[in-house]
Amino acid sequence: MKIFISLLIAVSIMFASDATIEVVKKADSLPSLAVEDSSISYDQTFKERFFKSIVADLNVLSIFNVDRNYRTVSYDASNVVVENKDMNYVLRYKLSEGENRALNVELKIFTQNNVVFNKIYKLNNPEIYMFASHEIAYDVNSFMGEAPIEWIKRKVIFSRMISPQKSELVISDYTLAYQHVAVKGGFNIFPKWANKEQSAFYYSSLDEKKPTLKYVNIRTGSVKVIASSDGMMVCSDVNEDGSKLLLTMAPKGQPDIYLYDVKTKNSKVLTTYGGIDVSGQFMGKDKVVFVSDRLGYPNIFSYNMNSGSIEQMIYYGKSNAACSVFGGYIVYKARESSSSFGDNTFNLHLISTETDFIRRLTAVGVNEFPKFSIEGDAIIFIKNYKGQSSIGLIRINHNKNYLFPLKDGKVQSLDW
Amino acid sequence: MKNVVVSSVLTALIVLSGCSDKEPKVEEAVAAQEIVKDSSSAESSSSVASNIESESELIVRLEKELQTIYFDFDKFNIRTDMQSKLSSDVAVVNSKASKFSIKLEGNCDEWGSDEYNFALGLKRSETVKKALVAEGVDVKRITMVSFGESNPVCKDKTKECWSQNRRVDFKLLP
Repeated sequence: MKIFISLLIAVSIMFASDATIEVVKKADSLPSLAVEDSSISYDQTFKERFFKSIVADLNVLSIFNVDRNYRTVSYDASNVVVENKDMNYVLRYKLSEGENRALNVELKIFTQNNVVFNKIYKLNNPEIYMFASHEIAYDVNSFMGEAPIEWIKRKVIFSRMISPQKSELVISDYTLAYQHVAVKGGFNIFPKWANKEQSAFYYSSLDEKKPTLKYVNIRTGSVKVIASSDGMMVCSDVNEDGSKLLLTMAPKGQPDIYLYDVKTKNSKVLTTYGGIDVSGQFMGKDKVVFVSDRLGYPNIFSYNMNSGSIEQMIYYGKSNAACSVFGGYIVYKARESSSSFGDNTFNLHLISTETDFIRRLTAVGVNEFPKFSIEGDAIIFIKNYKGQSSIGLIRINHNKNYLFPLKDGKVQSLDW
Repeated sequence: MKNVVVSSVLTALIVLSGCSDKEPKVEEAVAAQEIVKDSSSAESSSSVASNIESESELIVRLEKELQTIYFDFDKFNIRTDMQSKLSSDVAVVNSKASKFSIKLEGNCDEWGSDEYNFALGLKRSETVKKALVAEGVDVKRITMVSFGESNPVCKDKTKECWSQNRRVDFKLLP
């Protein structure tokens, strides 16, 4: 019940006709996969919840046509259930309760009644069953020879607005099935993971006299103040080893991008334009991509940290106010319609800095705050449409979008 | 309340890997801990509660006299119809409210929760700050913050409603 996955759109793309044909052909040719439950513990509600979770995860892999029928069978049965005999793959699992409420999952995959893969998983708490499901999907993806999808196992951290000037920082899985409020009370926004291990995060507190950047170690619960600035203080990006931050600060009321050294605590201003410069993102070792209104409207630029030169990166879109960078790719938010407040207001676009390749990734609603996965093959984003706030997931190479609605509140910002 | 409670949990976000004949598991334990900030200062200030209360009442009364400045879509310049309101605000902060610091809170409509929208709110605050300083308000009395789209006074999906959210509010600080 906790996982709501809706396949939203097979995305429109540039080079439209060829790519569309390719997608349709690919969907038809995907191998079929069915799931069989052999659980010996837990009530039917939990069993079905786990089944839905694993079916949803396998569907998000985008490499199977996943059969959604719930079927049971003895784990040791040598043949798949008769209804599944024509499936290319059958995934069978057995849930059992171990010592101290541990959740054990035994898994095997059949092809033509031959077991081709098996594995055992163990969780010390059945309430976080969704992480076992994500782990299984990760392993199935690897077994099928696909590129790694570490993002499916990672945690998302987001700020949830619950009322004006009141927010919570929530740690979740990518489907929002698991949610834990990490910081509550006050007005705290723009959380950002501080390291690859996701053992700590930064966030902006607006409860102090000046906006303040704080650091939370989630293993110890300790909080420390990093810096504060009049006007604005946001951690926009953390470099690969966590030693450098890109901050947006405005000590004199002027929002600019600063490079902050975590070890020395020194910061250096990178941009000095008199308008708005925000949302710095590391691009390789030498460049920072950022949002600026230096042309009279928000657009994406790059700053070369060696030469100090600035280059316009995007030539399409009227109001390009947010972006994320992976390698030579930039995903950005753009307003396309001439009406400022039309239905089709803000969409995400993907561009390559090395070619003229541009691709629209979303179709309706207000789509914003895109973030590439660490492998770069997926993008997470915020979607607000018809009063519903959701976290969206785009599988770039599979041309598929998935939405995970938030039950209460509105997502303000996120990171994963 | 400024309490920031960092609760814990993520109890054991264990995600595991394993194989057919082993049961390896990787456990990411997060210690349960609760941190409540500012509790000591709240207690120590209780002895002067009566003074603070009268000052608080004065602040509330003066804040009601300070008029909100509104802005056009995606703009941070002062509109001509806002000039008289700004003059009225200058008179208040230079006389009745002269002993207080001024916090300018910039706000935007709902079209975007990204940094750019926060920066737009800040630029609106900065414009008001410059106008105040030009009228003789001590720059040291003024601080600014932007709440982006996160502090709406109106949540309807109408242009009139959005225009009410593109604003700078005045707050007084002791």
